[in-house]
Amino acid sequence: MTRIRKTFAPAARYLALLPALLAINLAATATTLTRMSLATMSQKAPVIVRARCLGNSTGWDAGEIWTFTSFEIEDVWRGAAPARIVVRLLGGRAGNITSSVSGIPRFHAGEEAVLFLEPTPRGDFSVVSWQQGTFRIRRDSRTGEESVTQDTASFATFDPATRQFEATGIRNLPIDLLRARIEAALRSTGTRRTQ
Amino acid sequence: MRPALAIATAALLVFSMMSGHPAEGYLLDTTVPQGGGCPASDRWNLSLASPLSRRWSTSLPLAPQTVLTVAAGGTSAQFDEIEQAISDSFGAWSGVAGTTFNATAYPGLIGPLARISAASSCTNDQESNVDGFNTICFNQSSMGFTSGVLAFTRVITANAPGVSVGSSPPAAFAGQILDADTLFRNDGQAMFVTPAALATPQGQGAYDLESLLAHEIGHWFGLDHSAVWRALMFPFAPPPGQFLGDRPTAQAPDGPLSDDDRAGIRLLYPDPNDAVNVGAIRGRVLPANPFALAEIPAPSPGAVVTGIFGAHVVALDADTGAVIAGTLGGWSCDVLNSSLQFDGSFDIERLPVGHNYTIYAEPLVGLATPGDFSDALIDLCSSSAASECTTPAADTNFNPRTRPAAP
Repeated sequence: MTRIRKTFAPAARYLALLPALLAINLAATATTLTRMSLATMSQKAPVIVRARCLGNSTGWDAGEIWTFTSFEIEDVWRGAAPARIVVRLLGGRAGNITSSVSGIPRFHAGEEAVLFLEPTPRGDFSVVSWQQGTFRIRRDSRTGEESVTQDTASFATFDPATRQFEATGIRNLPIDLLRARIEAALRSTGTRRTQ
Repeated sequence: MRPALAIATAALLVFSMMSGHPAEGYLLDTTVPQGGGCPASDRWNLSLASPLSRRWSTSLPLAPQTVLTVAAGGTSAQFDEIEQAISDSFGAWSGVAGTTFNATAYPGLIGPLARISAASSCTNDQESNVDGFNTICFNQSSMGFTSGVLAFTRVITANAPGVSVGSSPPAAFAGQILDADTLFRNDGQAMFVTPAALATPQGQGAYDLESLLAHEIGHWFGLDHSAVWRALMFPFAPPPGQFLGDRPTAQAPDGPLSDDDRAGIRLLYPDPNDAVNVGAIRGRVLPANPFALAEIPAPSPGAVVTGIFGAHVVALDADTGAVIAGTLGGWSCDVLNSSLQFDGSFDIERLPVGHNYTIYAEPLVGLATPGDFSDALIDLCSSSAASECTTPAADTNFNPRTRPAAP
């Protein structure tokens, strides 16, 4: 970015303003999210897992087209989950039509993520607060170290208690530190970590 | 248009005229045709004979009240007040000059705004939500809502010509939008306020309805989120009690939009008589070290990734520094053999001529992240279409570099 600033002063001035502008509280629209701290989300989500995406399928249910994503559970951080689970999220391709809903996380086969899950009445799972409950795992190709970035890392979210927006997204956090924070949050409330 | 100054990346930003069909601009939702072919931009097929039908449900949640107005609840004046916000939100988009549904140049392409009283106008359990009626609903309890999700827009597109849903006319092309609905949660997790009521004490704690609706209507027309922070389609909204940008006026109905929004909607619905917004900048974002791409899995059998995928490419007005348009590039498609290639291509179209532009590319590690755009990126491929492929992960592992301007 430094080189950009040196070479293109007008653009650089504009770009330099971005952090300050970002400080203005903002919130996601197409999906407007209620703010949840990591601690709150840890307590809200009965199941927290590290999982690898196996694949996607789509189908109709309750008047909507859903994408059903299969995950292989690599580690259970909270609650209980079988070795494989299905997560349903709005939208997808079914027959001759496609349903699109912005703000929904989508997953590649082979992609790893930490997911905050809640069970649905259908016996599968959904992701708490969609993108807010999705943390993508990235492995540094040189060091092998793993970090996570929340899908809402660039979203500021809304706290109904204070009626304020706060930018609280997690970006490039070592995965061990994420787990430690979750465990600390659950310990503080006396919540059983795993079953 | 004079060639733009080129900022590059590590990741050399290479300008060229592409012979194929490069990634079309900004961030548009796309549909892969059922029978195979290049991803097609999602858009309506509007005409005077088939204008955009639209309606809103007057079923409003009362306890707790979700939509705040100056007018008393349950009165026709309240409905008029809400309806004005909806109309102005549509007017922001139909006020853009240089589109085929501009209200001045091509009146009648946006149908009248009707009312319906049923609370289930947007969703029900009979698999008949996809009805071809385009509806805004404020009193919704869809199973689609999970913890913390307050509102969403569902857009239905055809995967092949001839497809129709409910009352919609048969699609003329793959990617034609057949149905759009916006759903607001009704359990009091958020309140929405009309512009007239925004200045009231109660309004200070509520979302500006017009700002949210104008964003949602952008989705109706086929736009996905923009990574340009000032764009209305940037995936953020003003906090309660505030609005960003300008209110629409009779002189400038598209005041809430940014140039990026205007460029995006012109690209989807280009006015053939527009002689101003016809500029385009195309090129590729390539790694300085091509071996850096070797570790990326093949998107389809026998195919390789040959350029940076998912780079944010932005066009600035070289004189003012203002962001004019941006796109998420990384792919192209040869229409002759329907060959989708992840070659780093980008295409910023519908730029005003007579200006100089500065271009830069950046990884999605700043204000926006790949997760914000996962749906649009993945939609480039379809597991159920004839031409199966898998989109690579957005490449965020490169650093901006400067490339000297061409002499």
